[in-house]
This record gives sequence, structure tokens and C-alpha cells, in this order.
Amino acid sequence: MSQRDVDRFERIVLPHLDDAYTLARYLVRDEHDAQDVVQDAVLRAIRYFEGFREGDARAWLLAIVRNCCMTWLRQHRGERNAVPFDSGTLSLADSRETDARAIQRSERAALGRALDALPDEFREVIVLREIQELSYKEISDVVGVPIGTVMSRLARGRKRLASALGLGVKEAS
Amino acid sequence: MRCAECTELLSAYMDDELMRDEQQAVREHLAACAECARDEQALALTSRRIKESFMRHTTPDVLKARIRNALAQDDAFTPPVPAPQPRGRPRWAALAAAGLVVAIASSALTATLMRQSIARGSFAAAITDSHIRSLMPGHLTDVVSTNQHQVKPWFNGRVDLSPAVPNLDSAGFPLAGGRVDYIDGRAVPVVTYTRRQHVINVYTRPSDSRAGDVHESRNGFHMIEWQSGGLDYWAVSDLNSAELEQFVALFKRG
Repeated sequence: MSQRDVDRFERIVLPHLDDAYTLARYLVRDEHDAQDVVQDAVLRAIRYFEGFREGDARAWLLAIVRNCCMTWLRQHRGERNAVPFDSGTLSLADSRETDARAIQRSERAALGRALDALPDEFREVIVLREIQELSYKEISDVVGVPIGTVMSRLARGRKRLASALGLGVKEAS
Repeated sequence: MRCAECTELLSAYMDDELMRDEQQAVREHLAACAECARDEQALALTSRRIKESFMRHTTPDVLKARIRNALAQDDAFTPPVPAPQPRGRPRWAALAAAGLVVAIASSALTATLMRQSIARGSFAAAITDSHIRSLMPGHLTDVVSTNQHQVKPWFNGRVDLSPAVPNLDSAGFPLAGGRVDYIDGRAVPVVTYTRRQHVINVYTRPSDSRAGDVHESRNGFHMIEWQSGGLDYWAVSDLNSAELEQFVALFKRG
């Protein structure tokens, strides 16, 4: 990789590192494992970078990170049946906690557990849409499935999370 | 539009991801159907709660440093990416287990292995105590200096070996100083580095063994032991294990 490519990589890919780390953090659900996976993914991205010419660098990087996460999850399936909920992903509650906030906090924990319990393919679309605010087209590029699939996974994932909050939503038949 | 169809499209409707005529049809159905309108409210609330509850993360400095490091080394890209090191499980436990198997055949060898393992364990316990003591006010350093060329010569005449004192300032591990601790019947040089508010103590003793790195945790402190140049180094810190690993890697590189 030439110095020019290094500069270009730093300019167009590295600004999306926080997005990459956020996605990995929600998919592998461990701070240190997420760091290892992102490092691995970025090294791959560097190697594939010559093949990347034009287009959406964020979706391109996220696709690599997503694939590394899925590989990692496949390799570590079984050891991770009882992953404790990664509470480090929750937004910090205000320190002046009122009753209303305490309720909100338990609601957040319930939501966190429900997100953890989702199958990986539902969790990833929820994270990409709700937390990272990608469009369906971008999600479809990252995950590598048609937009219609993104749409139905997102709908089903949201319904499960709604029921974790005690909000019943009827299922599509 | 029927309810079943609306239910199917509702989530994409909220994201404004439907074709314009579908978007319009769902909107009209919601205006006429109270049940589907309730579902819409529930899904919208769920979506809002998800956004409020979960944060976006910022990349930890240590990961940025690892990546910058990789980018700086041209040849870092070609070799395969090393698998992440398994964490937490000390290898000497496996060694001790192997020792038990060998015991059936050779009790002498086992005795040696067990002795080493016990000796190692007591040194680890002793430096954990020393590390904790060093964190008490006024106990951290005998020579306070951020300059490696002041800390290294300070040990001359105080201990019988010359510990490595690499400058890791640019990597975010500034040197804090050095001291001598009396551990296991000998004077042990200790070099102290910091990382944010965390303290890393590096202990050095003579070594005749040549094992790989050994990781362990005691009382919530992480330890990494490695050998270099006939010396046995131990880094101890309350820093998370990934950053301590990074520190050790940088220390070895000098």
C-alpha cells in the first residue's frame, strides 16, 4: 500500500471507525472481543482497499466488520450460550435518579436483554437502523440481503422488542 | 387496505421506506383503523425507547493506537491477522495439570514442575501485595522521573541487574519513576508507568526459564509475565487486560 493509499484510507475509511466499533460492540457483545474483531476487520479493509474505488465507504467498512462479527459468532457459538447482558451499551442514566428514572432504567435493562436475546440477523438490522440510522438500501448493502428481507427482519425484530416493553403488537399473518 | 397488509408494512412506513402510493395507503388505513393506529403508536414508542436506551460507542484509544500502528507498518498488511489471544486462563494451570499426568511416570520431574509452579505462585502473590502497597500515598516511586535516562542509572548499585526502561510516552504510557522493593528475599527493581489514572508496575528478576507470556489475575489486578534477555519481567496493573497486553507488546519492542 502506497503512502497515498494510506492517506486516502485515513481520510475516507477511518472516520467511520466509531460506527464500526459500535456495530461490533452490539454484535459480539463484549468490549475486548469487539476490539479484536474491529482490529481484524480494519486490517482486512486495508488489504482489500485497492479494490474499493468509489461508493459509500461507511457501508463498505461496516460490511467487512459485520462479516468478521458473524464469523466470530459462528466460531464462538456454544461457549456463549449464557452471555451476560453487556450493560456497557446502555446510555448512562442521570445520577439524580427519580422514581420515573428508576422505572426507565429497568425498562432499559429489559430492552437490553431483549435485544441480546434476538437472533443475530434480527439484532444487526435493529442496530443498523435504530442506533446507526442507516437507510434500508445501506443496510441491504452491509448485510448482503435484499431490501425486502431487511424490511421484514426489522418489522419482526421491532415487534419482539415492543413485547419486551409490554407493548403488544399483532403479528403479520 | 386490509389490516394484515398494514401490519406487514407498518414498520417500513414509520421509516418512510415505502413507495409513495403504499405510504399513502397505509396512512389512510391508520386514519380509519383504531387497532392498527394503536400498533403504530406502540412501534413508534419502541423505536424511541431503543434510540434513548442504547448508545453509540466511541472507539477506545487503545484500538485506535493498534490500528494506527498497523497503518504505519507497511508490511503489517500481508501476513495473516493473528488470532486474538485467549484471555484469563493462566497457562501454568495447564502446566500443573500436565505435571500430574507425568507424575505417574516420573515423580522427580513432577516435583520440579510443582516446585516451580509454587515458587511462581508465591512471587505472583508477593508482587500483588507490593503493587497494592505502591498505590498507597507516597509509596509509588523512590526516584520520580519521566526520563528513562534518569530512572535506569538510578538502579545502579541498588540492585544487581539492569532492568529495561523503554520510553513509551508517545504510545500513551508515560514513565512515572522507579523504586526498589524487597520481595522473596531479594531487592527487586520496579519501574512505574501510568495510563490515564492507572498505575502499571513492572518488576524484574533474573530468569533461567524461557516460557511464553503468562497472563493471570489476582484480586482484580491483571499480570503478564514474560522473559527477555535473561530477565523475567512482570507487569501488574488494574488496567484492563487488553491495554495491559498492548503495554507489554510495546515494552518488548522497547
